[in-house]
Amino acid sequence: MDSTAESIAAAPLPTQRTLRMRRNVPFQLLRFAAINLRMAGVILRGHK
Amino acid sequence: MARVVILGAGVAGHTAALHLRRWLGREHEVVVVSPNSKWNWIPSNIWVGVGRMTRSQVTFPLAPVYRRKGITFHQALATTLFPEGTADDPTPAVEIRSTAPDTAGETSRLTYDYLVNATGPRLNFAATPGLGPDGNSLSVCTDSHAEHTAGELKAVIAKLRAGEPQRLVIGTGHGTCTCEGAAFEYTFNVEHELRAAGVRDKAEVVYLSNEYELGDFGVGGLTFTERGFTTSSRTWTESLFRERDVKAIVRAHVQKVEPGVIHYEQLDGSEHELPFDFAMLLPPFRGADLTAYDRDGNDITSRMFAPNGFLKVDADYTARPYEEWSAKDWPSTYESAAYPNIFAPGIAFAPPHGISVPRKSPNGTVIAPAPPRTGMPAGITARAVASTIRDRITQGQQAPAHHASMAHMGAACVASAGTGFTQGTAAAMTMYPVVPDREAFPATGRDPRGTSGEIGLAGHWIKAILHYLFIYKAKARPLWFLIPE
Repeated sequence: MDSTAESIAAAPLPTQRTLRMRRNVPFQLLRFAAINLRMAGVILRGHK
Repeated sequence: MARVVILGAGVAGHTAALHLRRWLGREHEVVVVSPNSKWNWIPSNIWVGVGRMTRSQVTFPLAPVYRRKGITFHQALATTLFPEGTADDPTPAVEIRSTAPDTAGETSRLTYDYLVNATGPRLNFAATPGLGPDGNSLSVCTDSHAEHTAGELKAVIAKLRAGEPQRLVIGTGHGTCTCEGAAFEYTFNVEHELRAAGVRDKAEVVYLSNEYELGDFGVGGLTFTERGFTTSSRTWTESLFRERDVKAIVRAHVQKVEPGVIHYEQLDGSEHELPFDFAMLLPPFRGADLTAYDRDGNDITSRMFAPNGFLKVDADYTARPYEEWSAKDWPSTYESAAYPNIFAPGIAFAPPHGISVPRKSPNGTVIAPAPPRTGMPAGITARAVASTIRDRITQGQQAPAHHASMAHMGAACVASAGTGFTQGTAAAMTMYPVVPDREAFPATGRDPRGTSGEIGLAGHWIKAILHYLFIYKAKARPLWFLIPE
């Protein structure tokens, strides 16, 4: 293994709360809307 | 009456065919030539590869769709181009060899007014000895490869359940591969499956990649803002590897794959062996094996195509050092440099250079990702090409070309990290532009407002919805054209 192993070991580890929020359905519904809006912006820009 | 011949029925070819048929009157003919009888939504092959989807869920037969839309379909492989026609007939033509079961091997010639080379990639397993399903590793590049790989994964899980430790290696099988995102997705979907099967503790999952660092994805990595901080896709990706306990080997070129052992070289010139129980390694891509002749029968293949088999288009192919690469080098009309009635959208065009920094080992081995052109860029470039052809047919040859440079195009990418309506996760990323433009955005080459990344269940929902949405669009169901590329 190269130095990537050390980099991974030093990478920020999400907290339990962050991991819960990543699968929290109501919160993710909001994120779903936000990500879609963001993607729509990029897509519209790309289709000009 | 004009005839447009489209070689290939992947994202680019199929998109061009459907739009042209929608725009052009029935006096004009749209012809598709594809060696495959089915359309495949390739991004979902990773789910076939873990046994969460069947082949029939990611494919459908092309012939009924083309019959319904009035598109002529030849199940055949294009072999030879005659862009100036022949001494007997100056009409441009392409020679095709049938791959349909009842006429397999029969050759014929199709004349054309416009030709769209959307042949996509040829999976170049031969570049690495022992690579691929006919060798000693697995693939998820096609639906049949993915189905076979799912069976092998099931066998590995059975061994893990029996208490036998297993090492699963997933990644790129050559120093010049592209599609690192697909390898990343398959890695985390496998990890997710191992966890769901209750055998994660006995399995070692290793991601083996030609990227210089994690999070490069062949686009030189991304920089985005998160909670008031500027962060990189490297930090973000390493965090996911740490969280899911996946090991990584980067800067690697696989030299050969022997039964149960991968031999690889790293950028520092060191050579290593990695024993494995399961290895899914993506191949590098080449262009289709097309040869071309001028009217006098002289071979002009090297004039039309780059050495890697991709068609030379309106890019600036002048060899320059990385520091002098410019967003302006990238093509925008995808017109052949040699013949203006030939186009190559999607993967089929020869990129002027990479996006990631080019690097070589002390042994001279190139270890740098090739630039991705799949998915959204393939669809957008195909639509631009179709628009140009439509205008030239309806308004005349002088009609200006439509432009769709990857240096002025954003992309939305959703990389699955595990499936399930409530248990799935995916990394949802956006970038603008795909090819960094250091003049327009000096800091990172990309607009921070259009570049983002987020991990969560919402990303999985989007990936799942895109699966159904794009298959709906590809089947040309009512109002399909409202779904953007």
